[in-house]
Amino acid sequence: MSHTGHRDDLLRVEDLTTRFYTEEGQVNAVESVSFDVRDNEILGIVGESGSGKSVTALSAIDLVDSPGEVTGGEVWLRDAELAEEFRGESPDAVDGDFVDLRQLPKGVRRSLRGPKFSMIFQDPMSSFNPSLTVGEQIAEAVEVQRRASANPRSTRSRTQGYGLGKLLFDSVVPGREYTSDESRERAVELLDQVGIPDPVERAEEYPHQFSGGMLQRAMVAQALAGEPDVLFADEPTTALDVTIQAQILDLLRDIQQDRGMSVVLITHDLGVIARMCDRVGVMYAGEIVERGSLEAVFDEPTHPYTQGLLGSIPDVDDPAPRLEPIEGNVPNLIDSEMPDRCYFADRCPKAMESCLEHPEERAVEGEQGHTARCVLADGEYDPERALDESHFEGGDGE
Amino acid sequence: MISPRTLRSLKRGLNRNALAKVGIAIVVVVLLAAIFAPFVAPDRPGTQNLNESRQPPIGFEKASTQEVPVQENGSVVFEDGQIVTENRTVYENATWDHPLGTDGTGRDILSRLIYGARVSLLVGFLGTGLAMFVGVTVGLVAGYYRGKVDDMLMRSADVMLAFPSIVLAIALIGVLDDALEQSIPDPFVVTGVAPAFRSALGLPTGMPESTVLPGTIIVVVALVNWVWFARVARGEALSLREESYVKAARALGANDATIMFRHVLPNAITPILVLGTIQIAAIILLESSLSFLGFSSANISWGFDIALGRKYQSTAWWISAMPGLAIVITVIGLNLVGDWLRDALDPGIEGEGGV
Amino acid sequence: MSLARFLIKRLLQGVFVVWGVITIVFGLRVIAPGDPANVLLPPDVNPEVRQQVVADLGLNEPLYVQYWDFVTGIAAGVPEGLYNIVMGQPVGGLGLGTSLTTGTSVASRVGRSLPATLELAIMATVVAIIIAIPLGVVSATNRHSGPDYGATLFSLAGISTPNFWLGVMLIIVLSVQFNLFPTSQRAIGVPGIFDLLLAGQLEAAGDGFLTWLWYITLPAITLGTYFTALITRLTRSGMLDELGKTYVRASRAKGLPESLVRYKHVLRNTLIPIITVVGLQLGTLVGGAVITEFVFDWPGLGQVLINSINSRDWPMVQGSLIVISVGFVVVNIVVDTLYTLVNPRVGFD
Repeated sequence: MSHTGHRDDLLRVEDLTTRFYTEEGQVNAVESVSFDVRDNEILGIVGESGSGKSVTALSAIDLVDSPGEVTGGEVWLRDAELAEEFRGESPDAVDGDFVDLRQLPKGVRRSLRGPKFSMIFQDPMSSFNPSLTVGEQIAEAVEVQRRASANPRSTRSRTQGYGLGKLLFDSVVPGREYTSDESRERAVELLDQVGIPDPVERAEEYPHQFSGGMLQRAMVAQALAGEPDVLFADEPTTALDVTIQAQILDLLRDIQQDRGMSVVLITHDLGVIARMCDRVGVMYAGEIVERGSLEAVFDEPTHPYTQGLLGSIPDVDDPAPRLEPIEGNVPNLIDSEMPDRCYFADRCPKAMESCLEHPEERAVEGEQGHTARCVLADGEYDPERALDESHFEGGDGE
Repeated sequence: MISPRTLRSLKRGLNRNALAKVGIAIVVVVLLAAIFAPFVAPDRPGTQNLNESRQPPIGFEKASTQEVPVQENGSVVFEDGQIVTENRTVYENATWDHPLGTDGTGRDILSRLIYGARVSLLVGFLGTGLAMFVGVTVGLVAGYYRGKVDDMLMRSADVMLAFPSIVLAIALIGVLDDALEQSIPDPFVVTGVAPAFRSALGLPTGMPESTVLPGTIIVVVALVNWVWFARVARGEALSLREESYVKAARALGANDATIMFRHVLPNAITPILVLGTIQIAAIILLESSLSFLGFSSANISWGFDIALGRKYQSTAWWISAMPGLAIVITVIGLNLVGDWLRDALDPGIEGEGGV
Repeated sequence: MSLARFLIKRLLQGVFVVWGVITIVFGLRVIAPGDPANVLLPPDVNPEVRQQVVADLGLNEPLYVQYWDFVTGIAAGVPEGLYNIVMGQPVGGLGLGTSLTTGTSVASRVGRSLPATLELAIMATVVAIIIAIPLGVVSATNRHSGPDYGATLFSLAGISTPNFWLGVMLIIVLSVQFNLFPTSQRAIGVPGIFDLLLAGQLEAAGDGFLTWLWYITLPAITLGTYFTALITRLTRSGMLDELGKTYVRASRAKGLPESLVRYKHVLRNTLIPIITVVGLQLGTLVGGAVITEFVFDWPGLGQVLINSINSRDWPMVQGSLIVISVGFVVVNIVVDTLYTLVNPRVGFD
């Protein structure tokens, strides 16, 4: 491991890089992203749509589908048991209590989804299978873990057989084959814990019979089925009514605090970040351009993009709110069209000649754990050396 | 009707999909061969020549053991007043005169395939056109007026769908008989262009002066297949009638016919055209089935020739095989074009339109 | 809406469609050229005899009377036939009349041909489903692999091949050249096998079954190929569609093994819409059976239809058309009900 992390680190993601190979060309969706998740905290990742925040989360838990592929980086998870298991077998993948998931077999990585990681998504209606009951779908998630713990040696191959024969049987007795009475009872308990009234009846209902807010609660219940250490929440409130949003956020925080788990909250909404998070990372064009504690990033934003983003939310205390949208467009992340310079330079009000070189992540002076991918992190803006427009001609695709 | 955006997406689909290019190439080749049949056919499709019957295709020289007279110095050898013979393997040579071989009465198969393409494509295009006209009209009226008109038209469509298309087609042919059969003169032959071209190249002349237009089959396949167009057109009309520009036209006092054909139809054209492509393939298959069963009056037709070849199934497989391959290749071509249009335009009609 | 109400509504619709079918079938006879009496009589027959025959056939009545008699004949005949079946008596004519060429009951001729067609259609469907669904699954879950390209090519060729030609080619290659299968006909039917079983002749029944299988193989392949290709194609594209949905990602995120995601979730949801498409395409299957029977000289309903059209035997044409269409309507009601049962999103409306 290159960095010496915080002692409470649970997950350390380093230089994670994800590419999509599309017809339009290679898309650099996630570009050398590093962040860490500590015990019992809420980490926010904020950015505009298309900035790569969802793909970052999917990459961390190995859920990127073709044509996407995680092409580089390390994902270190603190797990003493797993570290012990692989210490002899693949020493490179183990460092103290940490294991690098990217170097583990695919089956092991899969088995960590549920008990270590889980994820909830933006639109609850499309995140449930429409043709199975909600209770059944939660019970499945319980059942996987139940079967795995009943047979601990099979941590590495929890591929329960479920072939065509069982499918045919299952079609005759719909959806009642994989789960057990225990897992179905547990599903009802979970529904109760996330505040769904009449959980016994609701468990028997199908997703289309739920309201959006109730279904998002059910999704939280489903994500909790494996008792995960880290819950990734990808825009969990974006698809919901404003009044429901607050309820879901409260639920997430309560659950996080009750269970002492960690949450990675992905959102484009700075208000949600300010309300929920302990620390925050700001994403732009596939990179984390600034990260640090909530106070550091919000009170002392260093990267001009963060400054612009914070400037664009109306301030309720300010009698004359200033809305300052950032000029220009988010780059489209196609490899052949990405400039060598700082990706933000052509929209940046403080671009300087030194920005023609792509900046590394640098520590912001004076603040522990506050970094920015910007020359201003350890320097001052010098209007004398400002870049003029001529540098960008022909550079972007517009 | 077809917006630049649509054209772009068609082009993107084409670049992405090599199979679509194959499909277009097949369709173009078959179309050209059918149109210019009197120029490209190597021989007369209908003229029998029993001396050349059952000649195999190029690459399939047929070996057989035959008793042949032994010859010495060009004359037959006699022994005890009998011709001396020996057993020898004889190759029936395939010749470039008949690249795909000849049928049971010595007619050139390739030429018959080329002329057969005329029948298949005539029925395919005219039948689809007629089905489209009837179906789209019914569908638009049903979807636009809704209510009782819609119920009545769609219930009768259900009744039509209760008959398997080939079964209904057979029954209708029983009714119509060959009342609508026509023979249309071949302009290339009648004007003398094709004969002049052929004699200049030294090809056999005397190509047929007219082509059979199987009117009964065309009407029957249209009567059988209009329902699919009606369903699609109705669905489009149902949703388009709620669009604000249609409501605006109505508020301005445009009459119903104007609204249907000027405002609704142009916006429903994409799924109808995609369905049309698929239907041409389906109708060509239907036509070949009907002529195979002997219900068509066209005497040169792919399906009919397959039936003819069955008599020789133990000695000359190619007589049945070649016309079938022609059908398969043509229909694959049309299906590939249909897939390309469907993928590129996404009209949402998966699974509509059976054979 | 409850299941019972759904069924009643669907049955009423079915009755309406059947009435429409009967009407069309009646109309076809009316507008058909030629005089049915000509089928029965030699051309030089005495005009008085001819008059008598026409009168006996009811052809002198006004059209509406003929139509009324036709419809009420069937409406009364079918319940009577059902009653007779229950009571174990001969089924009767079902109001379908008698053949012009043989003078025998249309219903009994059609009834005798029905098992052959059903055997063929069911075998073809079973074979199609057994082959197509696994093929579509393998194709969709191994995109851009050899099996995927193979399956795609097979399904493209399969939906583009006329089944009569496939049948002819199978006969030429497998029957004539290699002598592996009989060229045509049906040596024994399922009812015959049952008779042997009931008579306790187990060995003969076993032999009969093998013979039946031997004879039905080529016709079933011929009829089933289009269906196999179609279902393969639909399974593949439906599964690819379904695999791209968020709930698949959510299922993986909660830790489900891939086999569970694929079969319990994705394939299940893929098959639900396929049921309706297959239902819509059943007409193609029955139509295909008509041609397949012709190619293999298979003594089913299709043969009856084609022969009776050729001999202008209108009562027989009408009888076989009605039976084919009613069968199709019934199967569609069953398919619709199944679809509604397995798809919680639709409900019975």
